[in-house]
Amino acid sequence: MDAHGNIASHVVFGWDPIWVSTILFVLTYAVIVTEKVNRAIVALVGAGLMISLGVLNQETAIRGVDFNTLGLLTGMMVIVAVTRRCGVFQFIAIWSAKRVQARPWAILVMLSVVTAVFSALLDNVTTVLLIAPVTLLITDELDVSPYPFLVAEIFASNIGGTATLIGDPPNIMIGSAVRLTFNDFLINLAPITPLILVVTLVVFYFIYGRGMHATDERRAHIMRFKEREAITDVPLLKKSLAVLGLVMVAFLFAHPLRLEPATIAMFGAALLLLVTNVGRKAEAQSESVHRRFGEVEWVTIFFFIGLFIVVHGIEHAGVLAILAGWVLDTTGGDLAVTALAIMWISAVASAVVDNIPFVATMIPLIKSMAPSFGGPEGLMPLWWSLALGACLGGNGSLVGASANLIVAGMAERAGHRIRFLPFMMLAFPMMLMSIVIASVYLYIRYL
Amino acid sequence: MLPDDLLIVTRVAQPGMLVRDVFHECLSSRVQSLPFRDEAGHIAGRVTLKCIANRSIVPEYVVQLARVVGDRLATFEEMERRLPEVFGRRVEDYVQEPHASIPSATQLMKALAIMEHYDTSYLFVIDDGSYRGTLTIQGIAAWMARFDQGD
Repeated sequence: MDAHGNIASHVVFGWDPIWVSTILFVLTYAVIVTEKVNRAIVALVGAGLMISLGVLNQETAIRGVDFNTLGLLTGMMVIVAVTRRCGVFQFIAIWSAKRVQARPWAILVMLSVVTAVFSALLDNVTTVLLIAPVTLLITDELDVSPYPFLVAEIFASNIGGTATLIGDPPNIMIGSAVRLTFNDFLINLAPITPLILVVTLVVFYFIYGRGMHATDERRAHIMRFKEREAITDVPLLKKSLAVLGLVMVAFLFAHPLRLEPATIAMFGAALLLLVTNVGRKAEAQSESVHRRFGEVEWVTIFFFIGLFIVVHGIEHAGVLAILAGWVLDTTGGDLAVTALAIMWISAVASAVVDNIPFVATMIPLIKSMAPSFGGPEGLMPLWWSLALGACLGGNGSLVGASANLIVAGMAERAGHRIRFLPFMMLAFPMMLMSIVIASVYLYIRYL
Repeated sequence: MLPDDLLIVTRVAQPGMLVRDVFHECLSSRVQSLPFRDEAGHIAGRVTLKCIANRSIVPEYVVQLARVVGDRLATFEEMERRLPEVFGRRVEDYVQEPHASIPSATQLMKALAIMEHYDTSYLFVIDDGSYRGTLTIQGIAAWMARFDQGD
């Protein structure tokens, strides 16, 4: 039995748990990368094998599942599912376009900022699902290419998501695993994200912005958009914004309130469902709650469950401790070198593979380095490195983040294909540029 | 057995058929969809007016934001300009999964229940892989109206 009360592995046929867990882990990740089988199925099968072959027993496997991450994700998904129906996000996007007199470059800037802010408060996929249609319509009407707008929004969503605990799944996982608060992310990561966004937009200006023009007639069409019509349900809007505001305030005061982020998100979701359903007939309530729960991305939730168990398998078997030792040997145990290495490797890895499994693996790996850096407190720069690398790395390619693929899919259906290689030719160097800025920030502030 | 006069006999869409032919057939027969027969002769799907409109005429982002745009929009004019080109396209690009179907021996009330089950307003009537016609909710309504004895 280990220090956490976990029982040692009893692998079938007396096989070595290190090898069995490593092979299962590599196989699981390899199949996930091929995208031939749904990733939730792969992760759950990997988890099932990890238990069936005896690397973990059932109690130990359950201990590996981070229910705080699952609760926070699920709660926020329900809140977003309810709130998005009132049309407030489209209202803000159109309103912001009209505020700048429908000038194309100014619209690009406004929509990027709106995307970044929404992405910091909601999940990135929801944000781009709401903003991309507005972008396509506006660019269509202005008769300008939607490409730079959509690419800028992809960048903004990943940059904005970096800023907060709830902005991107890697942050949720790191925050939950290390018990970091919403404020910790605001204080440590949010300050650098506006700078990265500004520099990104400056580059966009020199590549695309100077050549953007629209006729006065076309701009007048945009100015005639009726953004108030986007608000489809005013009572829902008021209730949603009130609950969303309460949730944000609760996140800010989570520490003195002694509340975990998952508790706040789930309670917020329950409260929102209550205020939007109370007074309705039982049948209507059932249908409404059923629909909102149906909008939760259960594939992602079950993917997390499977992944947590698979990663716990290699952790329990001692594989991650061996890997951590190898990393420390390579970096010479130097905090700065280790932090920067984690950031750059995370960024490049997240550009080419899903950052969720990567971060799931890195969390226990980094945790096991604590003795070499003076305990858990000494690991803080490494956590910020991981968060910055994994979130910003999503900008490196079209497959780097789910939001990227969502935008590409919508663009393609609208007849504006975003091709993998041309996107990467622009995106990868820009992602590296953002990592350079993040490295300088990290070095100056923490190392 | 379904009454013959309730069945709307239409042509079947097949590879090589043009969108304009689907439109003309649907308009003249007053149906919104035609079954699609593949090269092997099997009813392999359907072609609907709605699908053609959604995929080629009205982009999804316009659908999502139709309420907020002004009444005159260059995008709408562009959609109108695209129509002649869309009518000249082949139907293969618009084939959807097979629609709910029933054999002609089905009782009318069962047909109505199946329509409700699939939340549709029409069913294809197919016997042993051979398309007989389309049964619509209007047809069933007309049949039901025969039972109305007035005041």
